[in-house]
Amino acid sequence: MIETLLYGFTIGAILYFFSIGLSITFGTMQIVNFAHGMVYALGVYFFITFLPFVGRIFPLALVLAILLSLPIAYVIERFVIRRLYGESLDYAIIATYAVLLMGTDAIKWIWGAAPQPVSDPVGVGIRILDVNFPLYRIFIAASALALFGALRFFFRRSIVGKIVAAALEDREGVRCLGLNVNKYFSIVFVIGSGLAVLGGVLYAPIATSEPYMGFHILLVAFAVVIVGGMGNLTGTFISAFILGMVIAVTGRFYSTAADTMVFVVMALVLLKDSFRKSWQRLTGMGTRA
Amino acid sequence: MDFISIAPYKRGIIFRDLALIGGAFVLLAFFLRLNWVIDFTIFAILVLSYDLLYGYMGRLSFGHVLYYGIGAYTASLFLVHVSPNPFGAIAAGIAVGAVVASVIGFIVVQTEGAPFALVNLAFNQIGYWLAASGLQQITRGEDGLPSSVAAVGFLDFNDKPTVFVFALLCMLAVFFLLKTFTLSPYGVLVRSMKENDDRVQFLGYDTFRYQWLTFVLSSTLAALPGALYAIFYGFVAPTVIIPFGNIEVIFAILIGGAGNLYGALVGAVAFKLISNILATTITRWEMFLGALLLVLVFKFRRGLTGYVADFLPRFRGKPATEG
Repeated sequence: MIETLLYGFTIGAILYFFSIGLSITFGTMQIVNFAHGMVYALGVYFFITFLPFVGRIFPLALVLAILLSLPIAYVIERFVIRRLYGESLDYAIIATYAVLLMGTDAIKWIWGAAPQPVSDPVGVGIRILDVNFPLYRIFIAASALALFGALRFFFRRSIVGKIVAAALEDREGVRCLGLNVNKYFSIVFVIGSGLAVLGGVLYAPIATSEPYMGFHILLVAFAVVIVGGMGNLTGTFISAFILGMVIAVTGRFYSTAADTMVFVVMALVLLKDSFRKSWQRLTGMGTRA
Repeated sequence: MDFISIAPYKRGIIFRDLALIGGAFVLLAFFLRLNWVIDFTIFAILVLSYDLLYGYMGRLSFGHVLYYGIGAYTASLFLVHVSPNPFGAIAAGIAVGAVVASVIGFIVVQTEGAPFALVNLAFNQIGYWLAASGLQQITRGEDGLPSSVAAVGFLDFNDKPTVFVFALLCMLAVFFLLKTFTLSPYGVLVRSMKENDDRVQFLGYDTFRYQWLTFVLSSTLAALPGALYAIFYGFVAPTVIIPFGNIEVIFAILIGGAGNLYGALVGAVAFKLISNILATTITRWEMFLGALLLVLVFKFRRGLTGYVADFLPRFRGKPATEG
């Protein structure tokens, strides 16, 4: 059971890394950004490619992979996302999904469709009371906590962070102060993409990397963003760990239902008001909707 | 039925359209493999049903394929366990689709925008999971569920031309139904709810009731192609209900142009041609499809029919005041 909990924390941490960027784009631009999954997958493949060249030094390959995916994220933001601001939901979804489709195909083209294994960079565990804790997973969970603290600092103390936090509340208000909101969104979008790549690379030794990995995490990450409240970064942090735990615990008792359970939680959160309204309709009580 | 009655001259236009569309599909059947055209026709019904929900009522859903899958699985299970009568299977598929859509629709139409799309996705995922592993004893999970149909009178659904003609008639019937509905006062109401839900409420309409009705109608019509799929292929696997199937439907409607039914037909055929022909001739067809979609979204937003509309005024979306 303790292993399950640790697994839940690990998945939660990865989901948190991935969901920050998604949540910010959702909260500021009202755009469901499918292209986030593409940057994530591409970053992991960069990492796998660099790893042999840098003498299998995990952190160095990680930094290189993140650095290389930042310009790609910028191009996506500048030429796709920014042009979609203020558009209806469906066009944004189609355009970013098209980017995801092209990226996935590019990965299949360059690296092939076969899954790419990555070995555990730490490889040792600590034994406490006859339970083996893989050190690497503890490290992932701890780094998510550190990131949460760092992001809180970023959004409360740094000027870029403050501007973006204000724009999450009221975009027009910030523009009226004479600030170029787009520029700050670009910065935060690129940071969010970099964090997604970081999460992807950290996850690579646990999962297998394949071209469609971006698709799979996206669906779960949508649930994280919805449950946490769109654009609410503390909510995203909490919901990532809750849903990570849901995946781990469900997976332990009923392995095939793990992802579906996440959607059940998301549906319950989204339908909170609808259930109440439906009940009023059926019973004829309360005010008419 | 005054509410869904339409002017006689429009009825004439509908029948002319039916003849043109039927002719076009028969012509396609001469040029392409019959298997493909049957597949196109079944997919076109699905896209038509989605057009009512998305194109006319403006509700983007990621869970439409759920009802398609329910239709397919119900029809298959009916053929296996109850009777090999194909008409019974279709009726069962539609009935179960309607019941599930009524229950789910009652809750989900009260949400809008992104939550509506994602709640439907959640239900679709649950349906996929039930088909793939939750109800494995019934659906046979990933192995799929084979079934066979018996001949009814002179109609033998193991014969491909018969299936084609029947699927085409179903498609034309769905087109007729949707065209009648959308030209009637009911259709004006649906389009008005897309423009501004609050103002329709100010006029005294209980918009929830019509949104629910439209959701159920659209979803029930999606169960029909599912049942046809089960009969035509004699095999149903969880891929029919997979949530990613919704993307294909949305692509098709965007390529064709949403909100005029012609676009749904054109888009369905165009999308199937792209994914069938390109997949065999160009290895990187997903890349091509992605690029095509970006061009569509940024440059040709009204889809194929939107540009034909500049030359043929009849394709243009009717103003909401016209009834």
